[in-house]
Amino acid sequence: MLTNVVKHGLERIVGEANCSFSKEELLCYSYDATNTLHQPDAVVFPSGPEEVSLVLKMANSEGFPVVPRGAGTGFSGGSLPVGGGVVLSFERMRNILEIDTENMVAIVEPGVVTWDLQQAVEKLGLFYPPDPSSLKFSTIGGNIAECAGGPRAVKYGVTRDYVLGLEAVLPTGEIINTGVRTAKGVVGYDLTRLLVGSEGTLGVVTKAVLKLLPLPETTTTMLALFPDLRDAARATSAIIRARIIPSTLEIMDSVSIKCVEGFAKTGLPEAEALLLIEVDGHKAAVETEAEAVRRVCLENGAGEFRTASDRNEVKDLWKARRAVSAALYKARPGKINEDIVVPRSRIPDLVDGLRGISERHGVLIASFGHAGDGNIHVNIMHDRKSQAEAALAAAEDVFRLAVGLGGTISGEHGVGSAKSRYLDMELKPDAIAAMKRIKEAFDPKGILNPGKIFPGPGPQKRAPAGAGYAESK
Amino acid sequence: MKPLNLLKHEIDKCVRCGTCRSTCPTTKVLGVETASPRGRVSLVSAYSSGEIGLSETYLKHLRECTLCGACRTNCPNGVDTVSIFASARAEAVEKQGAPLAASLAFRGLRDPGGIVGMGLKLARRLQGLLFKDASAGAGLVSRFSLPLVGNGRLIPPLAGTFFLDLPEVRAYESSKGAPGEAGKPRVAFYAGCGVNYLMPWVGTKSVELIRRAGAVVSVPGGQACCGMPAYAMGDLAAAREMARKNLEALESSGADLIATSCATCGHGLKSIMPELLSDDPGLKLRAEKVASRVRDISELLLNDLGFRGAGGGSGASTVVTYHDPCHLGRAQGLREAPRELIKMGRGTVLKEMKNPCLCCGLGGGLMYTNYELSMEIAGKKAENIKKSGADVVATACPGCIIQLKDGLHRAGVQTEVKHVVELL
Repeated sequence: MLTNVVKHGLERIVGEANCSFSKEELLCYSYDATNTLHQPDAVVFPSGPEEVSLVLKMANSEGFPVVPRGAGTGFSGGSLPVGGGVVLSFERMRNILEIDTENMVAIVEPGVVTWDLQQAVEKLGLFYPPDPSSLKFSTIGGNIAECAGGPRAVKYGVTRDYVLGLEAVLPTGEIINTGVRTAKGVVGYDLTRLLVGSEGTLGVVTKAVLKLLPLPETTTTMLALFPDLRDAARATSAIIRARIIPSTLEIMDSVSIKCVEGFAKTGLPEAEALLLIEVDGHKAAVETEAEAVRRVCLENGAGEFRTASDRNEVKDLWKARRAVSAALYKARPGKINEDIVVPRSRIPDLVDGLRGISERHGVLIASFGHAGDGNIHVNIMHDRKSQAEAALAAAEDVFRLAVGLGGTISGEHGVGSAKSRYLDMELKPDAIAAMKRIKEAFDPKGILNPGKIFPGPGPQKRAPAGAGYAESK
Repeated sequence: MKPLNLLKHEIDKCVRCGTCRSTCPTTKVLGVETASPRGRVSLVSAYSSGEIGLSETYLKHLRECTLCGACRTNCPNGVDTVSIFASARAEAVEKQGAPLAASLAFRGLRDPGGIVGMGLKLARRLQGLLFKDASAGAGLVSRFSLPLVGNGRLIPPLAGTFFLDLPEVRAYESSKGAPGEAGKPRVAFYAGCGVNYLMPWVGTKSVELIRRAGAVVSVPGGQACCGMPAYAMGDLAAAREMARKNLEALESSGADLIATSCATCGHGLKSIMPELLSDDPGLKLRAEKVASRVRDISELLLNDLGFRGAGGGSGASTVVTYHDPCHLGRAQGLREAPRELIKMGRGTVLKEMKNPCLCCGLGGGLMYTNYELSMEIAGKKAENIKKSGADVVATACPGCIIQLKDGLHRAGVQTEVKHVVELL
């Protein structure tokens, strides 16, 4: 709970209209896409770094947690106020400050929606590639905090590859600038890369300098249907082996296809698996690559292969793809959503392993995601009442499988509060200790986004997945 | 219509993914979670479980919604947000009563010949004292700051003679049963408040087009407001009474089909009327029967009457862009028919604007409960209209026409606003 002194202090910093303590408003800032609820004690809407700095300084002197939040659409609880405190919402800081076409750089506030930035730069013939499935509603600030990826990562990389520099407020209140707005820069430690993906635990981003690319001349979208998930997985490896780097190489299994079909009605035919493939670049190159992709898919057992003929078809396919994660709840009311990554060549082994886990624990596993870079979204669908334990055990097995295949337990969602108990499955104690020392150096009082990444003391219990309001009370 | 306590399953279907943030017009303008469908569902959820009461903050956020339905259309889990919000509003009115001004208005609108009709006739004579003409035909701007109206707001002038009072329309009342072209249906025309009080020429033109397409038209007496404004504000008692009156008027017309030139009335009669009367199985059955005969003017002309245009374009071409009314595009699934009509217009060329389905900002009573927010949404629309470079923005709903005129006037955009039928 915040004292009245703190409440008045917050009102003085951001103005009464930009901070709220009412039960109703707090409720609306208590969740993210994990659908778990933790109510904050205040929501504050800063308009710039100075206000953020003052809030953080007060948090240090008065001792309350501060949790930065973009659109609240993360999958790992990164923006959840798990220990109460003040939510810093960046919904008011949503201006694109500059698009420098000559140097191909954009400067934006953290609350800008990724899609809005993409639309703005594409009008100028430029391209901001990172495209998490939530791109139409998630913000650049949140994308940076979690180092969001997306389908295009297979060719273009992830958010961190496009952040040249940052303006950030340190947990102790200092406003710093990191990085450059040039193509190169090696002066000092790379604090930019340290902050990107730090899940809002090391600093609060208030401005970002982003790298842009020229917009590819053309894109061809293709759909390949397979009678078996394993065939689709094999085709994925074969495409990469053929020395083609598609701009997108997405996989969906039959459960995902069925769930999303009811929503998007895109006529995704009934198939055991599908690949959604895009190649982009110059027209001539795209034609050659598209033909090669078609050949490889058919050679690897594709029963049907289609090339999207117009923009609406492409739009529908992507609408379906982006809706999968939320639509899966149609299969079962409970969902544990993990985003493991394995080396691309091991995807067929991953598919086999997942089948075993599904059978062993009696839970339904739906897989879809970025096959091209080995980042598969594994969704353990279950009944929340009778299967909660089995689902958690299955999730642990999934992590073990990923790490065993030389992969990682999270490719783009982050650890947050949802996965902190599994941190040591992947990281050695010395590495975790080094990270904790970094956290302490930045945030000696531990006020910024506490309870994330590192497991707290005592036995770790994972919150039940998708625990709605009723369950959390 | 389901009361809130029966919608728990629907509320729980929301998994808080946040997809709706990208489609909601109020989220676009205000940016904050409390102005997003996900936020509103969370608030209604908390209200249903007793976590919060009927507080001012709760009602403010609940009433910020235009009920445009964009969130419902785009929800990956198919959460029926519109029903959740409408039921939550109804429950609030049931417990607290309707806002006085609204409840008086709704009481009047049950009968066009009643108190509101008379009041409006008086207002028509007085409007020159209070308003000045904005620009040719655009509407009236208030001379002073008026209660409920405010200063500088563009108000549509009341018609010289209301549609239902026009002598030729009165004559149509008795024309039921007259034979039409072989195989063409008999059509009853339902005016609705917008056409009746503000834009009778849209009604006259619609009737003319239906006749030109070969059908016999009647304008049944006894028609009341479609009930949608009352439904949106949560005044179900008023909405139900209107639904009952319309059911009787339309049933006794004996027509094969019922046409309307108002997207909202069309949605109201097709979907909401049976929903409002669903408590009584007998009434519900009758309402569904009538509802199945209701057509928007565009689908009636194109699909039922095989209308193929007025023929003959005049050389000069007018660029027309089209605004999809939420109650026609999303609610009735009619996107192509009005566009087809535009293409049939005299010398018209259709040019799409960006995001033609974005709500104009009037809906859900937002124009009354939060005029500023409603105008900010209209401002976004005005920007898209301006960028399209069109000479005319056409739409198919008198409500949208009023709002678009006001929004364009505010933004200083000269584009003309017309009903689709006016182009034919």
